[in-house]
Amino acid sequence: MRFLDYFRSAFKNLVRHKVRTFLTIVAITIGSLSIILMVSLLVTIRQSVQDFFASMDAFTLVTVTPDPNAADSGSGLIRGDTGGSDESGKILDDTTVATLKALPHVADATPIGSGLWIKNMKLEGQDKKMWANLISYDPETKVFNMPLAAGRNLTGEDMDKIIVSTEFAKTYGSSGNPENLLGKNVVLMFQGGDIPDWGGLTPEKPLEGDDKAYWEEQQKKIIEINAEIVGVAKSSTFDSSQNYINIAWARKLMTHVRWEWQSSCSQEEQQAMKDKTYRGPEKDCSGTQVLVKNDDSAKNGYGSIILKTDDTSNIKGVSDAISKLGYGVSTAQDMLDETNNMLMAIGAVFGAIGGISLFVAAIGIINTMVMAGYERIREIGVMRACGATRKTIRRLFTFEAALLGFIGGVFGLALSYGIGKAANIIADKYASSIDLPFDKVASFPWWLIVGVLAFTTVIGLLSGLGPAVRSSRLNPVDALRYE
Amino acid sequence: MIQLKQVSKIYELGGEKIHALDRVTLDVDDGDFIAVTGPSGSGKSTLANVIGGLDTPDDGDVFVDGQSLAKANDKALSHYRNKMVGFVFQNFNLQPNYTALENVMVPLVFAKVKLSERKKHATECLKAVGLGDRMNHRPTQLSGGQRQRVCIARALANNPRIIIADEPTGNLDTKKSAEIVDILKHLNKELGVTIIVITHDPNVAVQAKKKLTITDGKVK
Repeated sequence: MRFLDYFRSAFKNLVRHKVRTFLTIVAITIGSLSIILMVSLLVTIRQSVQDFFASMDAFTLVTVTPDPNAADSGSGLIRGDTGGSDESGKILDDTTVATLKALPHVADATPIGSGLWIKNMKLEGQDKKMWANLISYDPETKVFNMPLAAGRNLTGEDMDKIIVSTEFAKTYGSSGNPENLLGKNVVLMFQGGDIPDWGGLTPEKPLEGDDKAYWEEQQKKIIEINAEIVGVAKSSTFDSSQNYINIAWARKLMTHVRWEWQSSCSQEEQQAMKDKTYRGPEKDCSGTQVLVKNDDSAKNGYGSIILKTDDTSNIKGVSDAISKLGYGVSTAQDMLDETNNMLMAIGAVFGAIGGISLFVAAIGIINTMVMAGYERIREIGVMRACGATRKTIRRLFTFEAALLGFIGGVFGLALSYGIGKAANIIADKYASSIDLPFDKVASFPWWLIVGVLAFTTVIGLLSGLGPAVRSSRLNPVDALRYE
Repeated sequence: MIQLKQVSKIYELGGEKIHALDRVTLDVDDGDFIAVTGPSGSGKSTLANVIGGLDTPDDGDVFVDGQSLAKANDKALSHYRNKMVGFVFQNFNLQPNYTALENVMVPLVFAKVKLSERKKHATECLKAVGLGDRMNHRPTQLSGGQRQRVCIARALANNPRIIIADEPTGNLDTKKSAEIVDILKHLNKELGVTIIVITHDPNVAVQAKKKLTITDGKVK
């Protein structure tokens, strides 16, 4: 029998029992639909995560943190929140940056600032405030390409300039037209007593003695500093709330200016005087108040350092070398691996559901083919009398079952393609307003289409094998006599 | 052409052994027209099936042009049924969802004939049995006699040397029976096809060149 004849015969037989064929196919369609949508969704999420990293060259980046134990927490690629020296941790300072930069295969390095005590931020002229999530980096180093929705990246000369987050744009209603924000000012609100070393602000000098009222007032005082918006960050998968400023400016903002008592006596002398054990020459230790600038960054170090390696393949070597120096290290690959593990787990659950429904569908095919086998006993007898071999009969039935699987797969694909299209349109419409990191929720790579069709066809084929073998073994004489 | 040597076929029915064929020895020559008669259950159909390669003997052998059927494998036997033999059944055994033309094309499908040639040849066969105007009718749209003629056309499709007709007129009235027998006679005479007819009907048997009677599996 020719291949096309197997196809013709199978098709004819399936058309003969339209309702039964339809019901069987529905089961396969549902099974394949769940698998397709699951895979398609996972593929898209994975792709968008990967694209995001790739868009900022993240696969060549290594994040260095002071604490080696915090490295595996994987909370984000750009960290500003791990800063500050604790008892055991190391301090990341300019020397560290220079040391790391000198390592082989390290192309560049930028410190990432932390410890800004800015409480809130808002768009100038608006009442609504936002929590200020400020990340500072050195724009002179070409470590990362910040993906932007509008405007430009920072330069080393930019002092009171800022790149605002997608969340900021969303809060102030500029998701759709981020360029509207360019040139406007962000008000950074400092609170907590100290004044940053920017804009020539100096705190009022307190009265002599313990001026409690003055300090309380200082605590409540809100200092506002403006930053001009030069860019709006693009929606990202991980942190859409981060705003970016130049680290040189951040250092100035982190330098506290305040009045402090300065005495001509040493600490020991003052203590001895208090204890009335002082035996030295007469001294006036009351001292004078002076304006002091405390550089927090110098004291606490940077939050993290991000290195750019010369090639993706050197990531491993560089991160190992840094681990040996006693720092914490994390890479985009680590995070991608974590994401992949998570997606795999989700995939396994969905896969199991899809697997069960396909298993049920397979039973449906077996049932259909067993029924077909019984109904067609006489027909099998005639075919045998007309010269069909056992092999031909077996193939006819398996082909029919495989065709059921194939058609189910096609329907599943068509249906999920429709659902995916609809979801993409909806996502496209609302992605900006609900801030989805991806504008597509379903994609259909060629291997998914081929894979699903192959899979459902094979399931059909395997389901049909048993009934087919059974039919092929019928004795032609008995089959012809069957009533 | 066909030689049966000591062919036996035994069925077991309710623990009792029934000799459907009991050491039958028989020669069928090219161009024969043989009528096989006998009471029900005497083994007529079994003889036809063994000759047609649908059934294999339990003992003895059947030779077609010197080739053993008992020792042939499924492929060889199927090929023999496909190319050498045409079957005509009492209950027609036509595919209800196929047209007359499609039914006639069935043996050609297994012979791997191209679709265009299949159609052409099946059309010729239907014309030969006088159904040129009923080609696209389904079996349910045809009378009994017309159905049997489709069945004969199907048996003819691969230009077989033997046609085995098992009670071809069993479901037909006298007039239609005569028509069918005329067709068989015509095939035998004009095309030289060997015909073996199993029948109860003395009117049919009398038309054959040779007559065999089977009783309890034995041929007389």
